[in-house]
Amino acid sequence: MKKSVMLVAIFLIASMVLGACATATEAPATEAPVVTEAPTEAPTEVPTEASAGTLRIWADEQRAPVLTELGAQFKAEYNVDVVVENISGIRDQFTVAAPAGEGPDIIVIAHDQMPALVASGLAAEIDLGAKQADFLESSIKAFTYAGKLYGMPYAQENLGFFYNTELVPTPPTTWQEVYDISKQLIADGKVEYGIVLGGTSYDAYPWMTSQGGYIFGVDANGDYNPADIGVGGEGMIRFGEMALQWVKDGVLSNNTDNTTAKSMFKDGNVAFFMNGPWEIKNLREAGTPFAITKFPDGGTPFLGVQGFVVNAFSENILLAQSFLTEFVATEDAMLKFYEADPRGPAYKPALEKVDDADLIAIAAAGEGALPMPAIPEMGAVWSDWGNALTFIFNEEKTPEQAYTDAANNIRIAIASKGMVNVPGSFQSLVGCASDWMPYCAQTALVKGDDGKYTGTFLIPAGDYECKVALDGGWAVSYGDGDANYKFTVAADGNVTFIFDPETTTLEIIVP
Amino acid sequence: MGETTITKTQFAKQTISGLSSIITTAIVLLVDALLGYFTYRLITLGYIPLAVVFILIIAIISFAFLVPKAHMFRWMAVGLAAWLLFSIFPILYTIYNAFTNYGDGHLITQTQAIAQIEAQTYLPETGKAYQWVAYRSPENTYLLWLKDAEGNTSIVRMVDAQAEDYTLEVVPGQNGIGELDEEGAPKTIEDYTRLNRISAATDKNLTNIKFGDPEKTIQIRSPSEAAELLPLFVYDPEANTFTNQQTGVVYSDIEGTYTAKNGEKLIPGYSAVVGTKNFVQFISAPGLRGPLATIVVWNFIFAFMSLFLTFSVGLLISIIYGDPKFKGKKLLRSLLLIPYTIPSLITILIWRGMLNPDLGVVNRVLESVFGLSPDWFNVPWLARSAILIVNTWLGYPYWMLVTSGALQSIPSDIYEAAEVDGATGWQRFWNITLPLLLVSVGPLMIASFIFNFNNFNLIYAFINGGPPIPTATTQAGYTDIIISYVYNLAFASGRGVQYGYASAISLVLFVLIAVMSLAQFRFTNMWEEVGENV
Repeated sequence: MKKSVMLVAIFLIASMVLGACATATEAPATEAPVVTEAPTEAPTEVPTEASAGTLRIWADEQRAPVLTELGAQFKAEYNVDVVVENISGIRDQFTVAAPAGEGPDIIVIAHDQMPALVASGLAAEIDLGAKQADFLESSIKAFTYAGKLYGMPYAQENLGFFYNTELVPTPPTTWQEVYDISKQLIADGKVEYGIVLGGTSYDAYPWMTSQGGYIFGVDANGDYNPADIGVGGEGMIRFGEMALQWVKDGVLSNNTDNTTAKSMFKDGNVAFFMNGPWEIKNLREAGTPFAITKFPDGGTPFLGVQGFVVNAFSENILLAQSFLTEFVATEDAMLKFYEADPRGPAYKPALEKVDDADLIAIAAAGEGALPMPAIPEMGAVWSDWGNALTFIFNEEKTPEQAYTDAANNIRIAIASKGMVNVPGSFQSLVGCASDWMPYCAQTALVKGDDGKYTGTFLIPAGDYECKVALDGGWAVSYGDGDANYKFTVAADGNVTFIFDPETTTLEIIVP
Repeated sequence: MGETTITKTQFAKQTISGLSSIITTAIVLLVDALLGYFTYRLITLGYIPLAVVFILIIAIISFAFLVPKAHMFRWMAVGLAAWLLFSIFPILYTIYNAFTNYGDGHLITQTQAIAQIEAQTYLPETGKAYQWVAYRSPENTYLLWLKDAEGNTSIVRMVDAQAEDYTLEVVPGQNGIGELDEEGAPKTIEDYTRLNRISAATDKNLTNIKFGDPEKTIQIRSPSEAAELLPLFVYDPEANTFTNQQTGVVYSDIEGTYTAKNGEKLIPGYSAVVGTKNFVQFISAPGLRGPLATIVVWNFIFAFMSLFLTFSVGLLISIIYGDPKFKGKKLLRSLLLIPYTIPSLITILIWRGMLNPDLGVVNRVLESVFGLSPDWFNVPWLARSAILIVNTWLGYPYWMLVTSGALQSIPSDIYEAAEVDGATGWQRFWNITLPLLLVSVGPLMIASFIFNFNNFNLIYAFINGGPPIPTATTQAGYTDIIISYVYNLAFASGRGVQYGYASAISLVLFVLIAVMSLAQFRFTNMWEEVGENV
């Protein structure tokens, strides 16, 4: 009796252990994916014929129902099953599932998540053929990496300048007007503050650009140049000084919490704020009288683009591309995405059909805007860039100090791709935090027209050693053979370093 | 036991035990077979370490249930298996990962990376790109109709087709070619089916087939384009290098990335063993020198103060309610437990709302009564106080429960003796209640300290480590504890995933906490001695 009970118990436990393992192996990511609506019924005329293939798509909850619907049509016409899975945290799960061969064929992501996928070899190139011309140029650009297209966009969004129409009958076009109107409204006791920020970085960016601030400079091809960091630039500092003054004058709230900012605008406690299309619905429901206009003084927001990316490990790359270009890149499908979640379509024929005045105003506010930098270096920017404004508002740093420090931190964090440096025992004497720092920006060499990298530094007399290190780390470094380069400075003076990448040798010219 | 003495009952018993051992064997074999199947699946998917764990599990289960001498392990077999799978394997895997660069840019295996780089092609200067239509025969041979930019059309065979001409002219009537459509592609070719776009797309062979002149083959590149493509990189397995066919540049393998001498890198990279690089990077990180000292000090203050405050408040309440004269204590005690029953994340977010400097109820009240409006989220010491207040609120019910139980277990005769000796209430508390209480709740205090030492949820959900430290060169805030700081360092703010680096940091943290726990266990031994002496 006892024995049989024990056996049953062991069997149960063993099967539980097995069950646990089964899910662990099937979905090595974190959670088993939730299948929302697998197209179980196959509305084909030839139900007996086996399907010609299966296309798996990971989408978020607003895109999934639309894709499921398109999948049913696809199945009906071409006898290919489309399985749409509603996944949260698509990117993180995809990075684990795709290399294991368990990933979907298509994922839905934001454009700034794409470069890391490309660098990891998880995203396949996409060819939209003639349809490419039907997409907004800016959205195509957002999904282009190193000259190649890796995604098909469906929506494009950006911030707009919101104002309370009850308090402000005519929208301001300059920041001076914003200031004057705010002052008047505060004096009349109608509002607590004139304007409030919903954040310290992305949400304040249009104001920064209106003052000439930028994050990364743009090269001749229109690509972001991570070596040109604008965070410590004049425009950014001008913005910081302006914002600080406005806080002191009581016109700008020193709050930078997004939820608080929304609530202040919604309740009419402020007349202006900057936010995106996602806020329109909330404001309409709350009954706040508002309208959207362009940013004062020609400020431009960041563009965010949403799109589809094909898994490089998919066995159905052509099929996935065909599904996207023939079934998703259509006016009907794009309008369905828009209806499910009102973001401005990136597909021109669908965009022309949008008649929502607020969305059109948001699109107008985004004219001439650049996509949010989709380069890996952007990851190093957010926290320092954002913290700078916090320090300014807390008066822990002056605007100049705050943005200069931020820019320096970003330079260190980026440890630039392509940085050629001469770390050595002299570095702390020329402004680096310590010696032998391969990522110290002060001693980085600059590429000349002849392809050689040079740098000249004022070094006190003494004996020194150094090496050449690439990319701000020690992974690729060169010495004088196996040893360090040695040089002696007889009297304080300018020492010039010349690195030839062809021969990987360093020439040191001492005075 | 001789044969002659077998009684009916004994015979029945033997049969049952024989039967049950057959059932045992059958079930164990069944479980082994199932596990074996999983192991096989794991190996085919390339999870070799996990497969090794499963083989060990099979061995343990079979040994425990099939070898009679090992029957005492039966009760532990399942536990051991689960322990191997859910505890030991992840730990070993983390240790392994800490020595690799597994993360963004290095997510795939070397074989996968080589295959991907080899698949990269380029269009030579003389190369042409075409519009295409494919035709398939029942024997799975293919023809490809091509149209170049000038509008010239042709039909090409597969490279390995045993035919004299690799190109056919597009003339209706010849070679079984039927009528042409408006683009100039044959609507039909005898023995072949014209593939429409989707049926071409579902054909998994098509993109791998080379067409036309073996000297300059044509491959389908996308649904709309076929081109005379050449492989861009050629792999040399001996030297483990890639050579760019256009420029001749050689890329050698440096820590999982094929890198040219001038530092140019091929993507993708693969997950490679990089030795102690992650640890060196962590220890020499610029962010570690500056803010880490601040963070570690605050981490200890936070854990200690959290323990002290929650314990004190909890003990105070249980002492007050321990008074038999107290009326309605059951109801009050139940009410006081409420913070413990609400999910802590919700409580944290509610507190975050209440302490909001502009909209929160706390500041509204403070402002109207005292004219004060403390900025809980931006002033360092206020933010730290707010964190401690919230944590006290979250934690005191636990200590109230624990201490009210532990207080009951202190024998009342000691108090009576103390009273006889004339001890005051304070003296009784300090010399009897507290020491005896510490004996029984000491281990729980350590657990609570360690829990708070790593209380990521509270710090992250309440304020995400803020306000930022002005002198820090990495993202570090005044309320950051080590674990939240490290999380930001490794994962947050769009930095991408760095599994290898994060594994290294968690190992460092593990050592830190292990040392701390050991030290504290020493400390509790001391307490126990105190208890014994009393």
